Amino acid sequence: MTRWAMVADLERCVGCQTCTAACRHANATSPAVQWRKVLDVEAGSFPNVKRTFVPVGCQHCADPPCMHVCPTTATRQRADGIVTIDYDICIGCAYCDVACPYQARFKITKEDFAYDAGAMQNEIEREDPARLGVAQKCTFCSDRIDFGIEHGLPPGSDPRATPACVNSCIADALHFGDVEDPNSNVSKLLRAHKSFQMHAELGTAPGFHYLYDKAAAAPAPDAPPAVSDAQAGRIRTRGVEPWHQKHWDWKASGNFLCGGAGTGLFAFTSIAGLSGSAIMVPGLAALALIACGLTLLMFKIGRPLRFIYVLRQPQRSWMSREAWVAGLLFPLALFALWTGHPMVLLAAALVALLFLFCQGMILEQSKGIPAWRNPRVIALIMATGFAEGCGLFLLLAALLPDLGAVARPMALALVVLAATRAWTWRRYFNSLVSDSVPTRTLEIFTACRGWFFAGGLVLPVVLVAVGLVLPAADAALFALAGLSVFATGWAIKFILITRAAFNQGFALPHTPIRGAGLPGPAVKPGWTLP
Amino acid sequence: MPGSKPPNERVVSTYCYQCVAGPDLLTVRIQDGVATEINPNFAAAAIHPGGGKACVKAFGLVQKSYSPNRVLYPMKRTNPKKGRHEDPGFVRISWDEALDLVADKLKAARAAGLTDAGGFPRLAASFGGGGTPTAYMGTLPAFLSAWGPVDLSFGSGQGVKCTHSEHLYGELWHRAFTVCPDTPLCDYVLSFGANVEASGGVCGVKRHADARNRGMKRVQIEPHLSVTGACSAEWIAIKPKTDSAFLFAMIHVLLHEHAREKLDLPFLKLRTSSPYLIGPGGFFLRDPASQKPLVIDLKSQRALPFDTPDIDPALEGTFTVDGIEVGADQDTITHKAVAARPAFAHLVAHVKTYTPEWAAAICDVPAADIRRVTNEFLAHACVGETIEIEGMTLPFRPVAIAFGKTVNNGWGGYECCWARTLIPCLVGALDVPGGTLGTTVRLNRPADNRWSSVTPGPDGFMHYPMNPTSKEEWISRPTARSAHRTLVPLVANSAWSQALGPTHLAWMMQKEDFKNLPHAPPPDVWLVYRTNPAISFWDTKAVGETMAKFPFTVCFALTRDETNHVADVLLPDCTDLEGLQLLRIGGTKYIEQFWDHQGFALRDPAVPPQGEAMDFTWIATELARRTGLLEEYNTAINRGGADVKLKGDNYDFSLDVTKVHSVEEIWDAACRAASAEITNGAETQGLDWFRANGFRVKPFSRLMWYLYPKLVEQGLRFEQPYQERLLRVGKELERRLHEHGITWWDKQLAEYEALPHWRDLNGLWEDALAKHFKVEIADYPFWLVTSRSMQYSWGNNVAGQLIKEVADNVMGHGSVVMNESAAEKLGIADGDQVEVRSPLNSTKGKVMLREGIRPDTLLIIGQFDHWVTPYAKDFNAPSMNALVPMLLDLTDATGSSADLVKVKITRLAGAT
Repeated sequence: MTRWAMVADLERCVGCQTCTAACRHANATSPAVQWRKVLDVEAGSFPNVKRTFVPVGCQHCADPPCMHVCPTTATRQRADGIVTIDYDICIGCAYCDVACPYQARFKITKEDFAYDAGAMQNEIEREDPARLGVAQKCTFCSDRIDFGIEHGLPPGSDPRATPACVNSCIADALHFGDVEDPNSNVSKLLRAHKSFQMHAELGTAPGFHYLYDKAAAAPAPDAPPAVSDAQAGRIRTRGVEPWHQKHWDWKASGNFLCGGAGTGLFAFTSIAGLSGSAIMVPGLAALALIACGLTLLMFKIGRPLRFIYVLRQPQRSWMSREAWVAGLLFPLALFALWTGHPMVLLAAALVALLFLFCQGMILEQSKGIPAWRNPRVIALIMATGFAEGCGLFLLLAALLPDLGAVARPMALALVVLAATRAWTWRRYFNSLVSDSVPTRTLEIFTACRGWFFAGGLVLPVVLVAVGLVLPAADAALFALAGLSVFATGWAIKFILITRAAFNQGFALPHTPIRGAGLPGPAVKPGWTLP
Repeated sequence: MPGSKPPNERVVSTYCYQCVAGPDLLTVRIQDGVATEINPNFAAAAIHPGGGKACVKAFGLVQKSYSPNRVLYPMKRTNPKKGRHEDPGFVRISWDEALDLVADKLKAARAAGLTDAGGFPRLAASFGGGGTPTAYMGTLPAFLSAWGPVDLSFGSGQGVKCTHSEHLYGELWHRAFTVCPDTPLCDYVLSFGANVEASGGVCGVKRHADARNRGMKRVQIEPHLSVTGACSAEWIAIKPKTDSAFLFAMIHVLLHEHAREKLDLPFLKLRTSSPYLIGPGGFFLRDPASQKPLVIDLKSQRALPFDTPDIDPALEGTFTVDGIEVGADQDTITHKAVAARPAFAHLVAHVKTYTPEWAAAICDVPAADIRRVTNEFLAHACVGETIEIEGMTLPFRPVAIAFGKTVNNGWGGYECCWARTLIPCLVGALDVPGGTLGTTVRLNRPADNRWSSVTPGPDGFMHYPMNPTSKEEWISRPTARSAHRTLVPLVANSAWSQALGPTHLAWMMQKEDFKNLPHAPPPDVWLVYRTNPAISFWDTKAVGETMAKFPFTVCFALTRDETNHVADVLLPDCTDLEGLQLLRIGGTKYIEQFWDHQGFALRDPAVPPQGEAMDFTWIATELARRTGLLEEYNTAINRGGADVKLKGDNYDFSLDVTKVHSVEEIWDAACRAASAEITNGAETQGLDWFRANGFRVKPFSRLMWYLYPKLVEQGLRFEQPYQERLLRVGKELERRLHEHGITWWDKQLAEYEALPHWRDLNGLWEDALAKHFKVEIADYPFWLVTSRSMQYSWGNNVAGQLIKEVADNVMGHGSVVMNESAAEKLGIADGDQVEVRSPLNSTKGKVMLREGIRPDTLLIIGQFDHWVTPYAKDFNAPSMNALVPMLLDLTDATGSSADLVKVKITRLAGAT
């Protein structure tokens, strides 16, 4: 079985960016869309400083997170290991972008040219509208590989069958070949050298190997684990430490905000319905909220007219599953509201909760965002969805007299839910602290702790308690408590999806020898200590 | 992609020679007649040391051709006022009008006499990029040759942006206009700021990567951690411009801390002047009859001429001998029974006080590090070992020392180059396999072959074409505005010499006369090609103001820029991908360009010219025709003006000198002559063959990488350690200058020492700045240095979007790089907007904090500060060029200075 892989010899790489430029030429990518680039990483304290150049791009993982999350099947993996994107199917949801721990994917929504004056002749010649609004990334120049195989030209050794970056590399630092073939160039290099794969701990099994020392060399004394700024001295880099992801913005977060609160509201509406309350208004409000979230998402995706393709991959993608669940939820919920039948209501509520679970799983499957991929995010998303829904219900109850009858038990439920949410938040936060997380993520969450505790738990508990002892004002107090829970829930989710969503960045378990001496220490800038 | 071309696609072979580390052979993918991709030329993989690869700059060529910012039509100025703040009012004109305008000015200048009253050429020309424009200017050299005297001394960076000291002293000592390690064989390199990974081109990068893989240790000694430092085994953060102290301490360690037997004594005795006896007057003690330097033969214990066969010359000891000394102007002193020591003994005494501990305080480098690397250098030198190269047994000395430019120009360049040449001599590693090599000659002749340039000179050394300093021959009236032949004997008189003179003098003389030199008016006509001295020189404000006073300037223009802002005519020539030219490749050339092949490559037009851009050969032919020089021009082409002589021993493709020939006719003849030259007349294929094949080469002997076999063949020696010839020349020059009342060059004359003493260069810089600008130098606590960028250096790439995009991936571009701790003390944070001010001027930009730089040093990479050049003028990037003054006090004897100035840095309030 063939497994194409890239090998970068860090001892040889000089950071010249010729591969970057060659890739831009070969693939006619837009300005600043660098499927291949070379990082410039400096670590240490003067004068003990080490500077390393690291080619990066799509790692063509054996277990690619981007493929697993893709709702449309646009991202696939060939039998030879190359991860591909079908531009005709991709809807541009950018889920793969946030799932990729290597920041290898790009999406541009409008044509971009080198100069403001408009497209140059070469840009007009190479223009490819199919790439607008969809995910794009390194293909390992699969067209060349296929051409080579078709014509008996060995990829990795014949330039016509070899990726452009490898061909162009003036230091001969980049190599390409079949790692399953023990006689291939890359297999020989891997045997002759010590190597690592980036972020190997994430289990992606990248098809990109970095050589950092001779295999025969004695092991470096006590090679330290990945280190933070504090351990490695100051680290100055260009785009190496985790940076704020821009793929999912406020519109994408709207789905989590509205969808979470909406499903929670629908659940509590259903419960109220079981007790005989008139639930048409809150029920419709819940569905409207969910629909609003999904509509915001429509504005976010690069190819909205293809939105239906989101249903293509329920077997793997939680985004696809969410869409299927949404497709089931709306008719079922409307039917339940129309009939008021308890069993149908119950079923619709369960589907709504399933929708909420899908949202938690969507985040948890985003391997590229350390704050999301933490498994405890699922409980947090569920808990806050419930709490927000309950809070919204109490808000509506203050406005709709028909719901007043269930306000008190709902207020008690709110207290329980707020406490549960606070507990899931604490578990989530502690987990981030005890594991390792981008420093900025932790800083942002740390700044949230006070107001989230006060507004998300203390204040609503006090308001509910006061409401319980002051029946005359209980509706208003419960509504305020609900509003507080709801608002803090939205705020924390908004921050989770946007401001605190720093990506994986890049890290080196080893820095290379340079002709003589020992490999240098690991570099993982912008991360907290575990 | 090669091999899978649809019918609307083709691939064109060409070359990129945008920088001195080229040419890179490459192919261009053409789709529907549009150039879309640059690719390596793998057909050249077997003959090109870089495997047929092309460097990152070549990938900017597509944008260069199609840029919307190109000047696409001839233009003329309508605003007679010139200056930064004057709109030139360029209007489009026809080629006919443009060429007539230029030709009329040229004819008028010619009618007035080729030179003016002061003897200065009326026509001046400035070309950039270390001579690389000749790879694009077609037959313009033939036109200039037909014209007669041309002043090439208006520098655009020469002397401060080049390794100037190496160019001159290197050529003197080992035919080394540029110097580099024999990287394919070298095991240990001490690199003093040589930024080979940025400026060594494809060959340099590939060879050094190969060397690292096989275990070569490179120690990078420089104030900031460059990309080359990054790729080195070790970084030693030396204080700027103190390298000579480090090197002198190395000599001390080798001579005072190791047994003599560890040195290559046979090399020193037979291949250097180490045994030559020195008389009391400081000159060689010579045999009165033959006037040959004397040595002491240990076998016979007699003083004998150095070339006496079968002797064992003494390196040390004091001997009583008779002899004569021949000083300046042949002044002869006769000595009887005088005590004399060999040059080597003088050297040993000379460096006695230059201990690592002494150097440590100057360089801010621990003495232990200096001692350790010296010992490592010696241990790796393999003294006594040999290697067989193409059947010849040669010394094998896999150690080398390489220099970056600020080590290698301006004051201190002499000391450093001397030490860099001497240290290899001590271990027998100069120009032998594995050692420190010269790679090309530009001042000696012929320039196409180092070996052919080796002819016997005085005292067992190679001949060197010094400018005369004798009373009879000294050139008191400068032949160019840099006064290069008058002031700098070492710069010789080749086609390159003018551009290597003190080129800033040409600019300075436009502002003020130099006492007892003729007044130098501006040239009647100034041609400018592939250079932008208003940005690339030092004190760019002064340069810009000066060029605005030139009466008629013709710029061959890719885009508008700061220099052509003051032009009278803009002529759009074909870009690299549009023009036709044949170029000599291979052999040995700059930096790491030593090949196993030599021959020719064609620059085949990949795409049609944009707008009305014209091929440079057509422009040159038209200029020749319109100025009435067609016959002389064609004759110059026949002589080799198109990089190959059109007539050889067994071929003749000479052009009819009376006719106007098309661009293709000229280059077809050149291709045929090149084919004949390579095949010794057996084959004569022309342009079509080269178009189909791209290049044509024949083997080049690897022996010719090394000068040593040629010296052995001719019985010659390296002129080390004792610089008796320079001492004499310096004294003669002093007499000539003083006879003419010129004393403003006295400081430079002090450089002519037989054994250079260490100079406090930091103090020299500080004193000069304090004196000229009347400032308290302590107010300027930082040393500002620069560094080459592979992406930008040479090549006029600053207006290229792709180049900027990829350069921005490399730390430091577009910023003032500063040490974190130093910044902290000044309250400066990463990304802050800062002003960097020298006593001359200031520049602004954002700061980038790094640990890989000394706390007393600031770094600004590249040259920016553009205010006209499209795209680049929006960078807001800092540039050091405007901050470095042109001062005689900072000019060394070779006429160069260094990219170095003291500055202060201030955070701009409210700006981040």
